[in-house]
Amino acid sequence: MKKQKAKGPLAIKTLIFGALSGLLYYLVFSNEDWITTTYTMGGWHTIYPVGTALVFSFVHGAFASNLLSLLGIEAKSSH
Amino acid sequence: MKKLFMCFVLALGFIFVVSTAWAGGGGGPPKNMLKGVFVKVNKDRTADFKVDGTGEIKHLILSEHVDLEEIPLERKVLVSLITDEKTHEITNEVKSVSIMFMDLTPAKIIALLVVGLIGGLLSGFIGSGGAFVLTPSMMSLGAPGAVAVASNMCHKFPKAMVGAYKRWKYGQADIKLGLFMAATAIIGVQIGIQIQKYILNHWGNAGSNLYVSLMFVIVLVVVGIYVFLDAYKLAKGGKEAETTKIAKKLQSINLPPMIHFKTAGIKISAWFTIPVGIATGMLAATIAVGGFIGVPGLIYVIGASAMVASATELVIAFCMGMWGSIQWGLSGLIDIRLTLLILAASLIGVQLGALGTTYVKDYMIKIVMGSVMLIVAVSRGAKIPGYLADLGLRAPLDPSTASLLNSISFWALVAALGTAGIIISAAMIRGMLQARQGTN
Repeated sequence: MKKQKAKGPLAIKTLIFGALSGLLYYLVFSNEDWITTTYTMGGWHTIYPVGTALVFSFVHGAFASNLLSLLGIEAKSSH
Repeated sequence: MKKLFMCFVLALGFIFVVSTAWAGGGGGPPKNMLKGVFVKVNKDRTADFKVDGTGEIKHLILSEHVDLEEIPLERKVLVSLITDEKTHEITNEVKSVSIMFMDLTPAKIIALLVVGLIGGLLSGFIGSGGAFVLTPSMMSLGAPGAVAVASNMCHKFPKAMVGAYKRWKYGQADIKLGLFMAATAIIGVQIGIQIQKYILNHWGNAGSNLYVSLMFVIVLVVVGIYVFLDAYKLAKGGKEAETTKIAKKLQSINLPPMIHFKTAGIKISAWFTIPVGIATGMLAATIAVGGFIGVPGLIYVIGASAMVASATELVIAFCMGMWGSIQWGLSGLIDIRLTLLILAASLIGVQLGALGTTYVKDYMIKIVMGSVMLIVAVSRGAKIPGYLADLGLRAPLDPSTASLLNSISFWALVAALGTAGIIISAAMIRGMLQARQGTN
């Protein structure tokens, strides 16, 4: 197994990305009506859903990655 | 340096995907659909409909299938129009109306999160999957078919991107091979769409459904059994997987341009990767899960290991998913709420699945893939009697049989996902425990 990373900085990173991800989810679901209408206008508006999915994948993906590491679930080091 | 190269390749792929999607070559939603709001519904079964995007007011006729009282005013809906059986032209008669954005209850949110988590796990582990159960799940929760497909597609590419990145870090994903395959797969999608259109024009919707299901069952049963038997032999013999004879033969043919795929450790003529890419794309256009042919193709025809093939499939899924999402987005059919809810759990699942591959032997990926393919084949096979009846090739099904077959079809999908989730989790936990014991 890999040497365990320092838990402190990892916990802070997880907390920051988690809070950011939570904030993004809150922003989307508190403006549900505006978002569902604007995002489905078609044409160049396609950039909204595709861009949003990309932003969430970075922020929420980073949160998920840090969370798994914090829980000690990591890839086998020989790979 | 490696990271910079990865960014450059991804940017190139992005530009390629955007440009081809913008060129609009097929794919995307059915043409007999309108999106917008009803502004007025008259008692003589006519209605004024404001089309989304253009603002054009269309005068529609409401067929007898539509309940006047259930038509919402000033709420975004999807309207399916009747196609003339003889001329195949789209009429202005409404066949069905569905509300575009379903109300999200806590139970529906939990269901989306659970399916997303296991779908992500499967995707991270075998390179594809999840899509085959996510779309029907969203539809059974109340999303219209086109919205379910579009929202699922939009969740597929970020998930595949995260999975591909993780598995590239573990040294398993061959980006170059993935981009090669994706470019040819997009050509395959176009061919697949043309075949679908031909069948739709000659045999109508029922013919198209029957074709899709037959393809599903034949490909999944044949390839699934082959993959499963191969995995079984490897598991029993305890040997490492060997490159197939056909892959060795193809690799030995010096037909320029010869391409070296470093991570996969293969040097093969581009002419042999093209048919596999095209077949992947054709299957993706037909049954929406190209990976079921892409991964076995990469293993048995190109000669990659199951580990590299399943990781590389994620690169292909990213390119194809982004291309598809832009197309569906151009038609404005993505419900981003559904996409983000699935992503919330699947981004965790895909990383778990990806790191899980580092704890298992190569054949484990084949076992999961083969089992999933065979159970999904049962699900689709249960739909065939209904389509045969629609085409008049057998007696109509009685309602209880039809409902039973529909239940079998849906629950087989759930079983496929559940089985995969259990096998992956068990293999991963066992691998982790062994690794921990080894270090103690």
